[in-house]
Parts: sequence; structure tokens; C-alpha cells
Amino acid sequence: MSTAVASQQTARSVARVSACALWGLESAMVTVEADVANGLPSFTVVGMPDAAVSEARERVRAAIRNSGFEFPLRRVVVNLAPAERRKEGTGFDLAIALGVLRATGQVTRDADALCLAELALDGTLRPVRGVMARVRRAVLAGVSAAFVAPENAAEAAALGTDAFGFASLRDVVEHVEGRVRQSPSPMPRPAQRPPHPVDLADIAGHETPKRALEVAAAGGHSLLFVGPPGTGKTLLARAIASLLPAFDPDEAIVASAVHSVAGLIDPERPLLGARPFRAPHHTASHLALVGGGSPPRPGEVSLAHGGALFLDELAEFSPSVLDTLREPLEEGAVTISRAGTTATYPARFTLVAAMNPCPCGHAGDPAEQCTCLPDAVDRYHARLSGPLLDRIDLRVHVPRIAYEELREDGREASRTVRERVIAARERMTARLAGTGRRCNAELSVGEVRRHCRLASEAEALAAEAMRGRRLSARGFHRVLRVARTVADLAGSDEIRTADLAFALMLRAQA
Amino acid sequence: MIAVTPSDPRYPPRLRHLARPPDPLWVAGDETALAARSVAIVGTRRMTGYGERVAREIAGACAEANVVVVSGLAQGIDSAAHRGALDGGGRTVAVLGEGITLFLATVRGRRRPLAPRIRARGALVSQYAPTFCAQPWAFAKRNATIAALAEVVLVVEAGEQSGALITAAEARRLGRPLFAVPGPLGSAASVGTNALLASGEARALVSADALLNALGLGRHSAITSPVDPILEALAGGDLDADALRRRVRATEDELADRLMRLVLAGHVTQTPDGRYRRHS
Repeated sequence: MSTAVASQQTARSVARVSACALWGLESAMVTVEADVANGLPSFTVVGMPDAAVSEARERVRAAIRNSGFEFPLRRVVVNLAPAERRKEGTGFDLAIALGVLRATGQVTRDADALCLAELALDGTLRPVRGVMARVRRAVLAGVSAAFVAPENAAEAAALGTDAFGFASLRDVVEHVEGRVRQSPSPMPRPAQRPPHPVDLADIAGHETPKRALEVAAAGGHSLLFVGPPGTGKTLLARAIASLLPAFDPDEAIVASAVHSVAGLIDPERPLLGARPFRAPHHTASHLALVGGGSPPRPGEVSLAHGGALFLDELAEFSPSVLDTLREPLEEGAVTISRAGTTATYPARFTLVAAMNPCPCGHAGDPAEQCTCLPDAVDRYHARLSGPLLDRIDLRVHVPRIAYEELREDGREASRTVRERVIAARERMTARLAGTGRRCNAELSVGEVRRHCRLASEAEALAAEAMRGRRLSARGFHRVLRVARTVADLAGSDEIRTADLAFALMLRAQA
Repeated sequence: MIAVTPSDPRYPPRLRHLARPPDPLWVAGDETALAARSVAIVGTRRMTGYGERVAREIAGACAEANVVVVSGLAQGIDSAAHRGALDGGGRTVAVLGEGITLFLATVRGRRRPLAPRIRARGALVSQYAPTFCAQPWAFAKRNATIAALAEVVLVVEAGEQSGALITAAEARRLGRPLFAVPGPLGSAASVGTNALLASGEARALVSADALLNALGLGRHSAITSPVDPILEALAGGDLDADALRRRVRATEDELADRLMRLVLAGHVTQTPDGRYRRHS
């Protein structure tokens, strides 16, 4: 009895520990308040916890006991403040446990760190998803240390915080009490840029498709390859990974944070080294493509943020699934609403798609005769809705290559093209400095007017294109953005006739 | 819709001379189109881009010369011919192989909007009762009726087994002048037409003039030899940008510039599969 009285003397009436809640990539600091009062023994967690947070009570109770501490036989109330939004996941376990220990005086100092780990029943710390996004929020809130599971330490350290990876609750307490100080984890190196499986130099012929790929990589424009099977559409699309410029540090953090929420990063090398290239199969569901579920997980469009999303056999995707792409293509983000919660994930990606020209695949193929009726071909193309097609800037036919062309030399290597892409990107970012946007595909209507200056002869061509009623106003702006990229690749400040013509040529649908 | 019997003055005169004229003939639209000067333009459903253009252009030339275009309103060449005639401001007659009411109710795809246009600017005709359901043998008889209804018959593209060859055979039997459009060797859509030419059953069509001359009408050129090398390269069918560039020996920039001017002038369009198609 006397020890209990002594510990109560050093106890604070209410203990506070920092944690962080996550909705998609949106995060908010959460103060975990623990109060231990006289009354019938009970343990309550309030402040809109979801099921996983409520279950924390059982894990925390066992972890405290099994770590050699005492769980108070009193009335324990834990509040997750602010209490107005629903908290999800298991990342609050450590903060709740430390709060209880601090409130009962078994820990005598405040833990001045973000506490982010799940507890095992024996007191072991387990990793959680989405550490990077939450540590980023904590840094912004002025909390510069993080207590996490060893598996999450590299991820937390990647943002320059003092990240401590603790094996168990016992170790955390020893560290807070200053008895056994651990040193923070070193900042991890970014993941290696993986060797690209496809280099442009591996692909023969196809000058226009390659040029379109270069334009798409530089400006972030969406691209559709159409051609018979076996002509290299997939190979070309995969080559875009070798053309994309390296990540800027802050871009890498956002993209890595999305992967962290999805639980898809290498624990040793949490920062993505190369822009993502995602290629979901055509049987993908809404959930897989744009994200969702409970708690809402990021979909392929968000995992491709900052990189490329490749949809092979575009016409085989379910039309309703394809239509969900319209929001991310327009907004650069996806908002998923579920009962009680909404999650927003960034989703700014370069769309590269490929499809056959008709159901049998052989329309326009010199090697095979197409056997499709005209209406069947129409129906095949109608699987892609008008609004989706309107958002595709470059439509390129990938023909079957004749044998003579296969031996053609002087093919450009990806490295050479990538240098042009990087130079063009630099022009774009300089132009968009301070807006947070990076490439021409993201130019706003006002910026299109300001930055897409046409040379005088190109002006005449543009006027003709508009007069001919062949382009909607939106379509015309999209053409101007592409033309801007073509000019940037050529290092020109003005859009010349040839730049505009190339952009129009790949959007010349009747 | 009306049903006309051979004794009716509105009955198409050219059908009246048949050994067994369709009795009655169901007509929806303008029945005077059935008695006007007319050319049948028929062909395969599985047409190529080349066949589509030729059918449309010849039909357009007929429309300009005030000649009615008769066809079967099937997918492919038939539809292209009807569309070419309507776009050229002319009249056109569609001979159906099933009941008119049933056809209008069930037709899907590109022909759905086309059928009412034909009815408004010509006529839909059928030798079968309005709710008669399509039968394979009915289409063969319909093909023969097309030949009888027109003064001259043109087969644009026909495969080895194409129903258009029935129309051709009937034209020969009735003594109607028969023309066929020569096609590339090796193209499945031209096997039938090339065979007609090889056997001497049909005359090779090299311009719309020949067709109109067969009707005793003056020259009227629609297919003029194109001056633009890009249009010339596209005359044989759709091409992708790289193939086109090699054919006209231009740089990428030159091609984009010249091609765009043709697109804006309405001479070329981009197909849904990203190639370029000559439009006129």
C-alpha cells in the first residue's frame, strides 16, 4: 500500500502523450490524455475511437502487465483529443500505454515525442502503416522526436527527425526515464534507382510513338497507344519509367508517404528512389484503382502519384471502373468518403494506356485480316466514355514494324531522351515556381493563356483549328498544354507552328 | 408506310418487268424515289478504309448528279453508300431483308440514326411484312431486288462469299450494267470484286463518270487525282504517322504541319485507332 501511495505522489493527475491520426494522407496531431481516478476499476477510451482503437484497451492492459508494470485497479479514462473526428488504426497503443503509466506515476517524465506503435500482448512494439505521413505532421507541429517500432525507425528517420526504434514498452520507459538512452536511427539513404527493364534503344522504329512518349514523360500528358497485338505497345509504355526525371526531395516524401500508408515500402529504404510505375491488371476493381475500403486505403492512382499509371488493354477494363479515373485526372487527388470518415490521397500521375484497334485486334494490320464488323468495332471503342477520351491528350497508332526497320540503327537511348525531358521539366518548374505544381499538364486555364504564347504563324493555325469547330475550348487548352511541352523539349520560349501541329496531329479525332 | 402492288401506279416500274415481282412491296418514305434514275452501290460488311471512302465518294457524286443511290442498309459498304448520298444532298433507297417496323425497332449502332434519315430523304423498302423477322434466305432475295430496282450496279468491295455477289449475278441476269471497284491483291475484302473483273463479268470502275455515263448522264468528276502527296498516300487506306512520313518523304515537323492543314480543311481525320484517314 505504501508503494502505491508513493507512486501516486509523483503522478500527474492527467498525463499527456503526443500521437497522430491519419485519414488518407491528411493527418492531425492527437493528444492522448490519460486520467486515473478513484472508483470502480474500469478502462475507457473516448474521443471517437474506431474498433481497432477500442481494442487497444486489451492490448495495453496486457502489455503493461507483461512488461513488469502494474495496471491500476482504478477508474482509467483515456481521451483522444481533439475528440471530434474518428480515429482509426492501432497506432495509438504506445501512446495510451505511456499515458496510463505516466498518470499512475510508473513513469516520472513526460515523453516529448510522437508515439506511434502497436503493442503486442507481451509488450513488444509492432510496426504500423502510414508512419511517414504522421511523422511529417509532427515535424510541422514542432515535435522533433518519434518513438516507433524498430521496423518503422528508418521510415521515421527519413524525414530528419530523431527516430527511435524500440523493441518493447520496457525499452521505451527506460529511455524516457533516462536510465538507458538509445541513440536515434540514422537517416536512411533513398532506395536505389532500379535498373530499367526497358530502354528506348531496345525498341526499333516507332518514331512517332516514341516522341509521344517523350512528350508525355516531360509534360505529364495522358497517352493512348492503339495497335495490333505484338507490335510493342506494352514495351513502349514500360519504357516511360526510364524517361521520367528523378524525384525532387519533397515530391519523394509525399509519394513515399502514400506507399507507407499502403504498407508497400521497403522498411530499410523507405524513400522511393524512382518515380513509381504502376500497372494494374484490367480486372482491377474500383477499390483497387482509386482506393477505398475501411479504413480507406490508397488505390493504384495514388500509388502512381508523381509517376506513371499504365493501363494495358484499356478497353478490357470495366467501363464504370474507367470512369472513376475522371476525378483524379482532373483534380490530381482522390477523395474517398466512407461512413463517418473521408480520406484524401494525392493522385497526380501520367496516364499511359494501350489497347487493340478492334475486338480481333487486327484492324490496320498488314499481316492479318481484321474480321470485325463495323458496329462491333464501334462498340469496342465506345467502352471508353467520351469524357475519359477527352482527357487523353495523345492518341498514337503503334503499327506492325516491317523487318527492314527492325535493323535500323541510330536509335536513341533512354538516357539521351531523359536528358531532354529533364531540361524541359526544368523550364516548366521555373515557370510554375511557387504554385506547387510542376508540369505543363497541370497548367491552369489562366496560366495556359499566360504561358502558351504562340508564334505568329502558329496563331493562324490555332485560329483555324478553333474555327473549324473541331475542338472544344477544353480540348483546345489541352492541345496548347501539349504544344507547350513540345516547345519546351525543343528549348523554345514560343510555341512554333510545328509544335502546335504535332499536338493537334495526335488529337485529330473527327 | 404503304404497301404497293404491281398494279398500283406507285409500284417501281423496273420491278414490274420481273418474272415474279415482289407483291406487295412495303414502302416507308418517298415512293417517287423508286422510279427515279438510280444506281445500286453494294458491298461487304467487313469493309476497309479504302472501300468506305470509295463508296462514300461515288455515292456523293451520284447525289450531285441527282441519281438515287440504292443499297441494302447493311453495315459496311451499304451504310457508307447511303451516308455518302445523304451527305451529298441526294436521295437514297434502302432495301431491307426484314420487316420495316421490326428493323426500325431493333437496329443498333451507326445505322440507328441513319435509318430515319433515309426515310426522310428517300425510302425504306421491303418485300416482307412490317414485322417479318430476319431470315438468312430473305437477305439473298433482298440482294436480288436491289439489282432489279437499280439501272446500274456497282460492287465496291466483296469477299469471296459476299452477298453483294448475289446482287452482281442478278444484275448480269437482268442485263443491268455491272461495275466493280478494283482492289489490292491480297485484301480479303476485294477477292470477290477482283474475281468479277478477272472473269469479265464486271467492268472496272475508275471514276464516277463511268457509272453516270452508263446512265447516259454527262461527266461529273468526283474522284479527281489528288494533288497533295499526303492525300495520295492515304488513297490506298489508313496510315499511321510514321508510315505516312516515309511515303511522302517529309521530316516529322513538315508532316505534322501539312497533315494538320489537311485535317483542318476536313480532308483527313484521325481514326479511333490513331491512324489517319482520307475523307475526300
